[in-house]
Amino acid sequence: MVDDKWEQHGEDNGLRLLCSGDHEAFSRFVDKYKETVFLCCRRLGLREDEVEDVASETFMAAYKGLSRYGGRSELSTWLWSIAYRKGIDCLRRNRRERQLEDEQETEIADGTEHVPAVVTEDRETEQVVWEAVERLPRLWKVAVILHYREEKAIADIAKIMDTRENTVKTYLFRGRQKLREMLGEALGEDYNAGK
Amino acid sequence: MPANKPNQGNFDELLGRALQMHSEPVPADFTERVLRQARELDKRRIVSRVVWQGRLALAGTILVGAAAIVGVVALPGRVGALLSSIGMGFTERGGALIDRFPQAVGVVRNEWQLYAVLAVLLGFAVYFFFDMLLSDRAKMA
Repeated sequence: MVDDKWEQHGEDNGLRLLCSGDHEAFSRFVDKYKETVFLCCRRLGLREDEVEDVASETFMAAYKGLSRYGGRSELSTWLWSIAYRKGIDCLRRNRRERQLEDEQETEIADGTEHVPAVVTEDRETEQVVWEAVERLPRLWKVAVILHYREEKAIADIAKIMDTRENTVKTYLFRGRQKLREMLGEALGEDYNAGK
Repeated sequence: MPANKPNQGNFDELLGRALQMHSEPVPADFTERVLRQARELDKRRIVSRVVWQGRLALAGTILVGAAAIVGVVALPGRVGALLSSIGMGFTERGGALIDRFPQAVGVVRNEWQLYAVLAVLLGFAVYFFFDMLLSDRAKMA
């Protein structure tokens, strides 16, 4: 996940150049985090035509705000919070906010209908896990991805999602529980030993 | 993994590993497009700055002119004395200037409000003069 060129320049020096408005440093910054920003936008359920716009908006907001970035949080956490906010704003603009809240209950009730197919030799375990995560409600999905993929602490996730830590814990608990149910049938005993 | 994870075990490991292996598709030219937008934003910022500097310089020029007119109309004696003393000062020799230094300090002290206004206006004019001539060339370069 870490870009080599960025590392070669050193985090501190890279950050200093980035905050000073250096275009090359910004290009490396975009290269490093573009996948993460697209991931956030797509998981929030934006349409494909909106995803690119929101991703661009996110990076431009970061570019404008970099001179004020004080380093109080990790750069990736800061960028995630911008991307998340922009994504939610886009959903709100399109009046899909209610859907965002409603689906937490409804999708879970339907979850068992979408159990992934049983893993065969042809299907990668990772693919099955990812497909199961994709079926979670948006906010649970974002929390799970932030925690397990981005390795963010609960406090950071709460900051990104602009919510309370207990809410994040609930998203994670329910998301994890639902994934267990969904993946239990697909993966069989591969992981159940850790249950 | 963060320390405050709700549960540990094979499932968490599997989940973390699987999610970290995922690669999100991104349009090939996305970085170039964002970079182009950033460059355009910089250009707009510079143009906007130059426009504002022009406006401020114009405002400064008007202000200096207005202040001079107001000064001449409202305080003709003081302005006349001030200008003549400045003119005399320029024509004086160095030695004479040193001799007259305590007297000049006295004049400045007596009319400090006028000198303060002139100093501010002069500073304003000099700042904008240099800002317009030098700093934008440096930024453009």
